Parts: sequence; structure tokens; C-alpha cells
Amino acid sequence: MLFFNSHSLFLDMKVEMEIGLKDVPGSLLRSLEPISKHGGNILSVLHHRGEAELVKVKIVFEIKDQKSLELIQKSLREKRINMSEIFVEGRRYYEKKTISFILIGHVIDSDIRDTIDRINRIGCVSDVDVVMPDPREKSSVLMKADVDNGSLDKAVTVIEKLCKEKNLVFVHSLEQ
Amino acid sequence: MKKIKLVVVGFGVIGRGVIEILLGKKEFLRDMGLDLDVVALCEIDGSVVSGDGVDLGNALELAGKGELNKHKQWSNRKSMDVLEEVEADIVLELTPGDIKKGEPGYGHIKNSLKKGMHVVTSNKPPIALHYRELHELAGKKNLELRYEAAVGGAIPILNLHRKCLQINEIKSVYGVLNGTTNYVLSKMVEDGLSLENALNEAKELGIAEQDPSYDIDGVDTALKVVILANSMLDMNVDFRDIRIQGIRDITLEAVELAKKHGYVIKLIGDVSRMEVSPRLIPVDHPLNVSDSLNAVMIDSDVAGELILVGHGAGARETSSSIYSDIIDIAAGI
Repeated sequence: MLFFNSHSLFLDMKVEMEIGLKDVPGSLLRSLEPISKHGGNILSVLHHRGEAELVKVKIVFEIKDQKSLELIQKSLREKRINMSEIFVEGRRYYEKKTISFILIGHVIDSDIRDTIDRINRIGCVSDVDVVMPDPREKSSVLMKADVDNGSLDKAVTVIEKLCKEKNLVFVHSLEQ
Repeated sequence: MKKIKLVVVGFGVIGRGVIEILLGKKEFLRDMGLDLDVVALCEIDGSVVSGDGVDLGNALELAGKGELNKHKQWSNRKSMDVLEEVEADIVLELTPGDIKKGEPGYGHIKNSLKKGMHVVTSNKPPIALHYRELHELAGKKNLELRYEAAVGGAIPILNLHRKCLQINEIKSVYGVLNGTTNYVLSKMVEDGLSLENALNEAKELGIAEQDPSYDIDGVDTALKVVILANSMLDMNVDFRDIRIQGIRDITLEAVELAKKHGYVIKLIGDVSRMEVSPRLIPVDHPLNVSDSLNAVMIDSDVAGELILVGHGAGARETSSSIYSDIIDIAAGI
């Protein structure tokens, strides 16, 4: 067990990250470098050498904001280091993903406020672009919503359900 | 020289395309050591049969005029009777299929296998609706049942999987699997046509059938999804398991809205989701192919992502896949 402790100023987020490392010299240092590089303050490093091919390492560190965490994740991914679990302030952390989709039908008349509210329960609608050729005709609405990466399927199911209920056509993006 | 006897069931656009290629590439096939000899051509109302080989030039000429019944070797024998009586190595089942039961192709394929003949088909419904039964029958008889032409026209998806991706576990297969809908959606985004006008243009050019419901409503794509799921992902999928949403409700405004935000709308057959639906894809995505092209993305554990693009229909293009199956089977005879 390695243990680091230092005083941190202006660092608001406590992060616990579990990673899997190959049991070769230097791999631990390689994994810690992105955290320091992006302003993280490492509090502790606990590693568990089991029978698995990868050594599980739990790193606890403090960082300034979510942007720093995203940069750390990006660097670790580039180094092909596998992150299995991340907790921020004790809560499981998901990456946000923006999904785009189009709704076709009487989107406005079928209570667009309610549609947005229901999508907001599983994410956050960040953009709405409406084309309404004539009040009596079908409108087409492109929406963008920020959703937890781990809840994408759930988001699609919720939107599918409300589209069925409101007789709207749902065109979702291929990445979803 | 290996002599292979063929029976052609269905002498429509695809059947005639196959025979045109056979006549045009006779020497090419001979150089490969193959002498393909057609001993019967079957149509709905009768057949042209000759144990010494059918006069194919004459058959093509007459069929083009709708007068195949004037062929000197013509008789009123029905296709099922011919399959019962004629001895051949491979049956080419090239009839259009009925979506409810897969007939008449289902009966043709079953009888051919029972009689000990290999089968090559471009006919989707019998394979999609009776996949397990027909494969089990072929397996019991130690015969080949091939249908590369049923999915993606000229694109070698199934044979690529069989011959070049053996080490791979296929994670997903999805793509643009219907040329008619792709033509319509491409014209909407490129020329600003409404769905109705784009469809009329496709009919005039012969890209769409006079009744394009199967294409527009996603049924054709769904049949292909079933075949891909069963043959590439070893799933046990029934046609009724597929969720189908066609492109009939896609408005020009929706297409333009997608374009404004950097997307196009394509009808996507998605095997792992068991779904056919219009989807938004980024304009720079490799599946954004124009005209009546098809495009398929295969994601596998070793090879990674593969993208295949090509003509999904057309007699000549589809014949390429049919010959790929014939030549492969012939190599094992």
C-alpha cells in the first residue's frame, strides 16, 4: 500500500477512481501522471494484487472541477488504462453524453412543455429547434439532451414511450 | 473440366441477369475449370427443360418479349414437377417471395434439398421465415444452402463473414440495407424533394416498385436483419421479433432540420437492436451513402469495424453474389 497525503487548497471535488493496471514496472507511475498533470492532489493509492491479470488500484484524489476530471479520463484512455469505477463526493460518476433526436408530429399541440419535462427527469434538454410549416400540419422538432452515459438506453426507452403515447415519430441518432 | 448442372427457378429480372452473365462469361468460367450447364428454366406457367442443356440465347430473347412459351423446349410442366424429375447439382431459386409464408420459394428450396440438390437463392422471405428448418434440412442431407444475394445485392457480407472473419466474434451489424429508401431519402436531402415526389422519381427510374410499400415501410430491411442476425450473430430470430418503423412519416422539414444540425436521416437495419427505423447519422459518417447504394457496418472483436459499400440491387450486381455462391459450391462438388 502506498499512501500520499498533502494539503489541498481550492480543490472542491474528492474523486475515488478504480483502475486496472498490468503488473509491470512503471505502470503505476504512468497512471498517476495524468492526475498530477491536470491539477489533481493525490490523497491515497491502494493496490490489490490478486490472481487476475490486471492489478486493481484505487486512487483517491482531489480536483478543482469536472473539466479536470474529464481531462484526466481522456489522458488515461489515451494510455489505454482501464477505469472501472469512478465516485465523485461518494456518488457514482457518469460521463454526460449529448443525444440528438427529431420528433415529428403535432409536437407543440401534444404539450411540448410536458415532453421536455419528462425528458428532463432522465437528463437535461439543452436545445430545441422547431419547424412548423403550418399550425394544422405536423411539425418537426430537433432536440438535444444531456444524459448520463450509463442511462442512454433508458433515455431512448422513455422518449419512445412518450412518442407512442403522443403519436409522434421518433428519429434517434445512430450513436444512441 | 467440372460439369455442373443448374436448374433456374424464376426467370424474371434477376434470372435473366444471371443467364446473361453466364453467356457473357462462358470462357471465363471455362478458364476456371467450370462448365455450367442449365438443364431447366422454370417460370410460373411452365418450363424450358433439356437434359442436354437449354438454348439460353433463345430463352433470353423470348423472355424479353414475354414469349418464353414459344421456346422449342417449352412445356407446361410446373416448377415443382420439374424439380421432382430433373437431376441437377445446384438449383438457383430466384423467384420473388411472399412475406407471409415465403412461397413459392420455400417449397422450391425444400424440395430441391430433399431431392439432394444444393440451393443458391436471392429470395429473402423463405430464408428469413424458415431459416432453422431449411438449414437443418440442408445439414441432414450434407448440402449447401446459400443466399449471399438476398442481403445487400452485390455486397459480399455473408461470404466475407464465412471466409475471412472466422476468428471474429461479431458484435453488431447495422446499415443501409434498402436501395429504394436510400434513394428517396438522398433525393429529399440533396434536391429538396418531398417524400412523395422522390418516390415518384424512383418509380420512373425503375428503382422503386409500383407498390413500394415493402421498401418504404421497412419490411424488406427487416427480412435482411433477420437473415443477418441468424447467420452472422447466430441468433434465433423470427421476423415477428423485429421492431419495424419505415420512412413514410419522414417530412421534408425533418430532413432539412437534420441537415441544419449536421445529420442526415437514413433507414437503418440494426441487427443487435433487432430494429428497423429511420435514424440520424452525422453527415461525415461512412454509412451516409447516396443514391440507391447500400452500406453495412460490421463490428467484430478482432478485426474491429469494417464498412462495406455497394449496389444493393440490380440484376447484374446481384448476379455477382449468386455466382460467388455457385462457384463456391461447385468447388466442393
